[in-house]
Amino acid sequence: MKSKTGIMKVKDNFDIWDFVQKNSIWLIFVICIVFFSIMTPNFLRVRNITNIFLQSSFIGIMSIGMTYLMIDGNFDLSMGSIMALSAVLVIGFMDYGIPVAVLLSLLAGSAIGALNGLFVTKAGINAFIVTLGSMLGVRGLVYIYTGERALVSSELAFSEISAASVGPIPLPVLIFLIMLILGELVLRYTSHGRGCYAIGGNYEAAVNAGIKVDKHIIINFILAGFTAALAGILMASRMNAATPTLGMEDHMIVITAVVLGGTKLDGGFGNLIRTLGGVLVIGMIRNGMNLLNVHSYVNMLIMGLILISVVYMDQKFDPLEE
Amino acid sequence: MGSSVKTESNLKDSSSKKINFAEIIKRHGILFVFLLMIIGISLRTDSFLTQNNMLLVLRQVSVKGIIACGMTYMLIGGEFDLSVGSLVSLTAVLVIDFHDILGPFAAIIIAILAGISVGAFNGFLVGFLKLNSLIVTFGMLFVIQALTLLYTGGQYVSVSNQGATWFSIIGRGFIFGIPIPVIIFGIILIIFGVVLSKTVYGRYLYSVGGNPIASKFSGIPKTYITFSTFIITGLTAAIGGIILGSRLMSAQNYLGQGYEFDIITAVVLGGTSLFGGSGSIPKTLIGVLILGFLSNGFIMMGFPYYVQWVVQWAILIGAVWMDVASKRGKILA
Amino acid sequence: MKKRFITVILCLTLVFVLVGCGSSGDEAAPDIDEVVIGITNNNVGIDSYQTTHYETFREEAEELGVETVRLDATGDPALQVNQIEDLIQQQVDVIVVWPVSGDAIVPAVRNANQQGIPVLIANSPIDESGFELVEGFAGPDNLTQGKYAAQMMKEALDGEGKVVELMGLPGYVTAHQRSDGFNEEVENYSGIEVIETQPADWDRSRAQEVMEDFLTKFPSGQIDGVYAADDNIAMGAINALEEAGRLDEVKITSATMFGDGYDAMKEGKIYGTIYQSPVEDARKTVQTAVRIATGEEVEFFNYFDTPKVTLDNIDEYERPIW
Repeated sequence: MKSKTGIMKVKDNFDIWDFVQKNSIWLIFVICIVFFSIMTPNFLRVRNITNIFLQSSFIGIMSIGMTYLMIDGNFDLSMGSIMALSAVLVIGFMDYGIPVAVLLSLLAGSAIGALNGLFVTKAGINAFIVTLGSMLGVRGLVYIYTGERALVSSELAFSEISAASVGPIPLPVLIFLIMLILGELVLRYTSHGRGCYAIGGNYEAAVNAGIKVDKHIIINFILAGFTAALAGILMASRMNAATPTLGMEDHMIVITAVVLGGTKLDGGFGNLIRTLGGVLVIGMIRNGMNLLNVHSYVNMLIMGLILISVVYMDQKFDPLEE
Repeated sequence: MGSSVKTESNLKDSSSKKINFAEIIKRHGILFVFLLMIIGISLRTDSFLTQNNMLLVLRQVSVKGIIACGMTYMLIGGEFDLSVGSLVSLTAVLVIDFHDILGPFAAIIIAILAGISVGAFNGFLVGFLKLNSLIVTFGMLFVIQALTLLYTGGQYVSVSNQGATWFSIIGRGFIFGIPIPVIIFGIILIIFGVVLSKTVYGRYLYSVGGNPIASKFSGIPKTYITFSTFIITGLTAAIGGIILGSRLMSAQNYLGQGYEFDIITAVVLGGTSLFGGSGSIPKTLIGVLILGFLSNGFIMMGFPYYVQWVVQWAILIGAVWMDVASKRGKILA
Repeated sequence: MKKRFITVILCLTLVFVLVGCGSSGDEAAPDIDEVVIGITNNNVGIDSYQTTHYETFREEAEELGVETVRLDATGDPALQVNQIEDLIQQQVDVIVVWPVSGDAIVPAVRNANQQGIPVLIANSPIDESGFELVEGFAGPDNLTQGKYAAQMMKEALDGEGKVVELMGLPGYVTAHQRSDGFNEEVENYSGIEVIETQPADWDRSRAQEVMEDFLTKFPSGQIDGVYAADDNIAMGAINALEEAGRLDEVKITSATMFGDGYDAMKEGKIYGTIYQSPVEDARKTVQTAVRIATGEEVEFFNYFDTPKVTLDNIDEYERPIW
């Protein structure tokens, strides 16, 4: 509360409602921190904060790909399945050495992404249908490949990847943050970034302006597949195993995080810093609920209500109306 | 089944009228997929193409089929409803739980009212508040599932004295050898088909989904049309839940989980566009039958269901690709 | 831009202030008498067994006067890993894990082990590589239950016949163990053959559909027995069999009794099942956990009794409330 009034004094003609709308994700962020730290003393320990970052980094890495996709007006329901596929592949190919296995499963993830992208752009099929198909189909491949069972890595060095840390920062978090910053720079300062905003903002205008829409969209689908694969590999390393049921609902958690961050569902607006806010809020809620010992049914109810209110905010807030 | 046979005979008629073959493939591509699939599976297993099995599949698809009728309206109107799966669990749990308290008739009424109210709430969010239906109904999926779990406390509910009630007839009974769920499905197909193709409501629906701006200028109340499609879908989900509850005479909290994707796949396979404005009930029937026979056929051939998912992926992409390609007149966009 | 910058700064300040508060709180002296048990469940609400287990766990803990933190992984192995870490954060005295996947939790359990928090595995086993990391296992022996079901099937069919199997949800340890136990035992009997296996996902409607398809595929006389992973699946199969009028020609055994199955057995529809009580399961687990927390030595395997039930001895048992 103090912070708001403080700013108001700095600037007289400051519209508080406008401010709340533009920075809603950071306000929610603060509210979450205050709420959970009052409710549970363990919440704000340094170790738990590291923990929240670590837990969020897998969803976070995927949300980078998803943010790009949603900015150009598409989305991907198959990310959870791609994540599972790359997780089982990286364990399955462990005998050929870690680098080969990692590379292969990154390739596989990107390939599925490329396939999605081609179906959307070249065949002209709606992204919902394309990724609904691959969500089921890739999950089927995962079950077939694993024979329904969990695969376990014999290579202990592999599990070191997720367990490693640079200073106090766990490696998955570091990878997430570096990718986030790189991604934000690309989004702001390259022609690909500008292309994404243009396509999502007004598809026809982008086509008329000579922007290679298909290329940008395919790149984003590949990016979505790649980030899902990366998250899958790190997750497999974290568990030193991969189960075929991995990431069943992750695509929706990722979409929630991205939309919560303020990326418009219709595309054309959003950035990765806001997505970071969305990811961290989801991570805090999931962690805080666990610390608070909330029953999973109530947890489910809360996640549902959050989604609905997020869409409400998305609808009420039109950033392009300045 | 009746109307699919009709469509097949239409096809024969039109080919005898010397319409070029490529045109037919383009227009009725999904029928060929369907026939190829049936032939393919029946070559692999003997018991597939039997009258018993056909009736069996019809009954197995009837619940999803009924909801698919509502979903067809929904997609024609240009919106989604992903919450139907958990609405099936909620209504099934309600009908079973109230059966022992208030008797079967009242229980059915309560379940239908619940379906309509949830539909109306969805419709309010999407129709009046203009929220994105995809994400909102996905949020509702969680909310309804959580309500179901909180209502039952996570336990099964079942009808205690199953011999002493007529309730099981809805799901298990037969009239002239035809299962009652199939008959209900058939009636709903006819009503939905007629309303869609012959009434003002149907025209409004196509117009709202196909060209929202033009329909706004011609004074069609988009808000109310959207609202109504959610109520209709909620109603079909409730009917589905009641039939399932009656089939099982019990209900589980996660009954119907994942139905939404099968149902949307079925409707889309039938050629209903996700952008709204096109689609028809007979085509939805074909889509529903494809999924039903695929699932049944794969069990007949001894494959676990996830193998079917991979094939479903290919069929979905193939069918929709064919559909959009024929509309724009070339293979690639 | 400036506004956003200020917001971020304010947020960060708030975080650090609150971190200060949080870390000063944890120096409060821990009450030695007060044992806190943390549990991460598999998927509460998916069946009555898990729900009853969840409730009994709370009741039993209250009775013994220990505090509990009860979490639910909702069937997601990655979420379970997070929850184990959240429990480590809370410095509970013992962590009980009901594994979604016995393989994927090993590294998280190792982490708990390194932090000096003992881990008890409940209901479904951890992978053997995790044996040295845990204090023990409390729960039923699902492998043996599968074997019992096979033995009863042999009795029912007089050692000769063709059996179809309806499994639980693929990817879940319990589902695979019950299947493995049954199939291993059946291999010893030359006369009994499992002709087909399909997943029924612990779902009655799914079981009914699969059974309907089986009945069409295998005409009268070709199926002599049905093995269901639990009574819920068995009830689905019975519905299908009754409708086809073939219930008389088929013997049914299942690996766990539920309330509906009890009634069905009394009507002679189920030949044999196993009495696995979630109440006993939860009690045994709480008791073992408390003993671990208070420093007592415990046996590694703490199985509770899961006897065979047929019509001959059913009256010795009460109708299950789950």
